[in-house]
Amino acid sequence: MIELYHVSKRYQGRPALQDVTLKIEKGEFVYLSGASGAGKTTLLRMIFRAERPDEGHILVNNRNLTELKESAVPYLRRSMGIIFQDFRLLPRKTVFENVAVTLKVVGLSEGLLRRKVFEALRLVGLDDVPKVLPPALSAGEQQRICLARAIVNDPLILLADEPTSSLDAVLSAEILNLLKAVNLRGTTVVVATHNPNLLGRLNRRMIMLQHGRVMDSQAAQA
Amino acid sequence: MTKVRYLLSEAYDNIKANRTTTVTAVVTTAFTMLGMGVFLLLYLNIQSVLSSLHEEIKVIVYFRDSATLSAMAELRAKLREDPTVSGVEFVSREQALASFRSRFPSEERLLNGLGENPFPASLVLKIGPRFRTSQAVADLVSRLQALPEIEEVLYNRDLMENLAAGLRYLRLLGLLVGGVLAVSMVTILANSIRLTLYARRDDIEILRLIGATPEFIKTPFLLEGAFLGGIGAACSLLLLRAVFGFAETKMALHGSFWGLGTGLSFLPLRLMGGMVILGVTLGFLGSMVSLGHIRDVRR
Repeated sequence: MIELYHVSKRYQGRPALQDVTLKIEKGEFVYLSGASGAGKTTLLRMIFRAERPDEGHILVNNRNLTELKESAVPYLRRSMGIIFQDFRLLPRKTVFENVAVTLKVVGLSEGLLRRKVFEALRLVGLDDVPKVLPPALSAGEQQRICLARAIVNDPLILLADEPTSSLDAVLSAEILNLLKAVNLRGTTVVVATHNPNLLGRLNRRMIMLQHGRVMDSQAAQA
Repeated sequence: MTKVRYLLSEAYDNIKANRTTTVTAVVTTAFTMLGMGVFLLLYLNIQSVLSSLHEEIKVIVYFRDSATLSAMAELRAKLREDPTVSGVEFVSREQALASFRSRFPSEERLLNGLGENPFPASLVLKIGPRFRTSQAVADLVSRLQALPEIEEVLYNRDLMENLAAGLRYLRLLGLLVGGVLAVSMVTILANSIRLTLYARRDDIEILRLIGATPEFIKTPFLLEGAFLGGIGAACSLLLLRAVFGFAETKMALHGSFWGLGTGLSFLPLRLMGGMVILGVTLGFLGSMVSLGHIRDVRR
């Protein structure tokens, strides 16, 4: 599903990723781990083509992202859901509208759109507050809106960048359970985190990054 | 349909959320277009006055004394068929003499000394509206001068050429002033849209990340620019009507324009529609200029 071959990236001469080669299978749940500045966010940004590698190739669902035209990038992103640590919600839009915007971009019909948005909100437990504005909700609830927005379009891949960094342990566990549920539906999930509590909760493959290099890629233990 | 409704509601939300910017943009656009409108109004009225002067242009064709009555009648009939000529009046030698006597009674003694009637017969030609150019009149004159029965052809060449030059310069000035004001309006609206873009930069980033195409992101801003331009133009027309009404009543210009023509006239409906379309187009262009500078939208 996601393949990186000898990928390197530098920012103003400083290496962010160095000769990274890895493969994430379809339907897999993978942790990207490492300290701050290890290259986790850069790697995720490469997968959704917010960045291009200086060297190497990236294949997502057999499409070579290094050769992907600028005009094709929006269509690539429609096959992905992205979650950020700072939520990135539209503050002037209601919970419903924040989730629905993903489907409006693809031009889904009104009826189907409503059904899918409520399905996603039900999954994250927010179907009772569709008309509320995000700033009126807690951090955990805002992250759940973000998750609903990411999964409403049934993405092939879900990328989560430090999804629990601004949440307490209980809310983090809640988000993790939701990510697990999404993964069980067949979506490939990549979670970048440096939260040791989160890493210990699920027995999943962990890719360890250090100074932009893959140090270790542990398989899930039976 | 969902997409169209979303894009329209986004444009509406932008306008609603940035009320101060919207009002500023509409007011400045309205005043800029008012400048354009005032100039257009002046241009049209001056043009109408100059056109009325054109109607005064007459070509007088004097016959030789040797010209026969049948030759005169033949030429008169021919000129009536000529598209350049809209009216032909025959003035016989006797009529010319009578006219002179009635207009200049004190000069009677001049005629007594000459004995016989010194005035030639003539044709007074009016020029058709489509041929009131110095070139068309010069062509007609040279055609007539070549005829054997014609002694002389006279017309007010200087007036014609001055009128043509006046209209030419007026048109040029109109283009120049219109161009400058159009550029100002595009700049004003571009800056207004830039402020909206800046206020919504985070939203734009989110839209990009969820797979919105640049066109999807840009459309509400383009609609906003077009709407602001259109509303600004409509407001400028209302202001222009008020200014026009004031000029008509308070400045006592009823009946004629500086003593010429048939009085002031307001912009015709077609031109008012044109001004609103121009406002919409310039607003759209202003948004395009802004969006072209925003990296987030282009990618």
